[in-house]
Amino acid sequence: MNILLVLFGKIFSLLINSLSLGRGSTWPGHVALSINDNFSRELLRSSKTKIVIIAGTNGKTTTSKLIGTILEGTGKKVLHNKAGANLENGLASTLIEGSNILGKINYDYLIFESDENTLPLILNKIKPDFLILLNLFRDQLDRYGEIDSIAKKWELSVQKLNKNTKLIANADDASITYIAQKSKLKTYFFGLNEGKVHSIPHGADTIYCPRCNSKLNFEFINFSHLGKWICNKCKFKRPQLSLDEFSLYPLPGTYNRYNTLAAVLFSQLNNIKNETIELSLKNFKPAFGRQERIEIDGKKIQLFLSKNPTSFNESLKTISNLGAKNLLVVLNDRIPDGRDVSWIWDIDLSPLKSLKKVFLSGDRVYDIALRTKYENIKNYQTFEDLGKAITFGLKNTSKNETLFILPTYSAMLETRKILTGRKIL
Amino acid sequence: MILNIGWLYPELMNVYGDIGNIIVLSKRCEWRGIKANIKYLDIGFAVNELEDCDILFMGGAQDRQQKIVASDLKVKAKKLKEKIEAGTPGLYVCGAYQFLGKFYKEADGSKVNGLGIFDLYTENPGENLKRLIGNVVIESKFGKLIGFENHGGRTFLGKSVEHLGKVLKGFGNNGEDSFEGAVYKNSVGSYFHGPILPKNPKLADFLIKIALDRKYGSRTRLSPIENSLEEKARKAIAKRMNVEYNKS
Repeated sequence: MNILLVLFGKIFSLLINSLSLGRGSTWPGHVALSINDNFSRELLRSSKTKIVIIAGTNGKTTTSKLIGTILEGTGKKVLHNKAGANLENGLASTLIEGSNILGKINYDYLIFESDENTLPLILNKIKPDFLILLNLFRDQLDRYGEIDSIAKKWELSVQKLNKNTKLIANADDASITYIAQKSKLKTYFFGLNEGKVHSIPHGADTIYCPRCNSKLNFEFINFSHLGKWICNKCKFKRPQLSLDEFSLYPLPGTYNRYNTLAAVLFSQLNNIKNETIELSLKNFKPAFGRQERIEIDGKKIQLFLSKNPTSFNESLKTISNLGAKNLLVVLNDRIPDGRDVSWIWDIDLSPLKSLKKVFLSGDRVYDIALRTKYENIKNYQTFEDLGKAITFGLKNTSKNETLFILPTYSAMLETRKILTGRKIL
Repeated sequence: MILNIGWLYPELMNVYGDIGNIIVLSKRCEWRGIKANIKYLDIGFAVNELEDCDILFMGGAQDRQQKIVASDLKVKAKKLKEKIEAGTPGLYVCGAYQFLGKFYKEADGSKVNGLGIFDLYTENPGENLKRLIGNVVIESKFGKLIGFENHGGRTFLGKSVEHLGKVLKGFGNNGEDSFEGAVYKNSVGSYFHGPILPKNPKLADFLIKIALDRKYGSRTRLSPIENSLEEKARKAIAKRMNVEYNKS
């Protein structure tokens, strides 16, 4: 049965791709699952492929790519779900793509980055060898709901895993640590010891103890609510770290140091030597839209996907540190972005003041313009048409400068489409 | 002139960009030469801090946070009620709006008492009924109000509060009776995120004007602020929602 589904799925994707109907990255899996709900589980059961599942609000794609690059550097064959295909049907489609016509998966590793809401569904069916939990921040509240409800669902599903799963968890996020400690899994924690902030920034989410509801104390904060925390009442605190630094970080930004640590810790647990890891990281190319560089007519562009308050704040800090002069912000409110744009009021726009020119566009251009106006910033221009915004932005960027673009998810795809003529490279 | 803006539980009741309402109130004061002093009233604040607040604001939160706030607010309810009854202008969004009502009825039928300041109650319809989510436009005495709603609870108004407006597009208090929000004396309750004030400057200016009138005795005249960007943002949503829109 499953062999037929694989075969059918492969023909199906071939058709979709040859007719240029899109990437065809979720339909084959969708069809397979509607015929056999246990399709993915059964296919994986008959293979020796090691399963790695990665979840978190921010950093999934970059962490997956880091791990994939390191594993491939050691000669392993890695199967990785395509961008955006992070629901159950995405997993099934990835498996169809990765198996031969006999339904056999000849890969050493499967890396699956999971949507937050999908993680419990996936874990119900598939027991990974490694589960990596990165962080939980407020994100698309109209779609995902509030983070406590996601944390609770994760907690319950992770509890059901048995000891064959190794957990790699971000110790600096109290909600992630709580999930790890409620499980019985062997857990390896990573965290950063470099925070200089002592007061809790606006919009930080987990600042009350997940165990007893008292206010947490922070010795320092790296960003949002990630830092060295302790509950003075119930003594719940950041656990001992297995890894808190590495010799090489391939991408700028504190958030990418977290992603790197997660990937390095995973690699160390898979007996990969630090020198080998370093070598792979040196040649690392960012995932699409995540600090991706594009050059057009000698003009430099760099895309920083910014989809929620934390990712926007960290992108803005990172480009400020890179000496940014020209910035285009693109705010959309389509389903993959979240329909509610209230979150733009939770971001700290003060770094815009030091920029030379700010261009604004997207479906909700006037909402982001209002936000900018209320920051007392005057040097911005609005464009209803994204193409015009990009053209104008490039015209105003000289050859030795970079046009930085901070788009929401669908805006990032749209921007890339305009810049490269294709939807996803 | 100085206005003290009391922000109730900024650390916990801030999930849906609620800080935007505080930013708008303070900037619209500042741009008119009125000093806005924001008082951050977090868990454990002294009840007499409420005394000199000229405008009050409280936003929404998750269930766990709301429980923490509820126990803190209980001991301050009397003073808050006095302030609201005396006519202190205020804005209470989503969770805060529900809090000020008489009770919140859980899906299992159990009741959680509210502060009983607004004559209204809220019911949780249980998992089987959908949350009310989406852009929303209402007709109110402040003209059209435009925002975004995202709430599971259904709120029903009693006789001694007025509704804030009638729903043109969207759901409002409960998705049934076409009312949205509540007005009691100078206090406004609403489900609007967005947040509500940036795209609805008339409502923001109403709160500021009442606060000035009460504090400085006479009928103040607010100097106008250029609102063309607000108009564009409002018009874009109205157009998308197929609501006829003339300049507000």
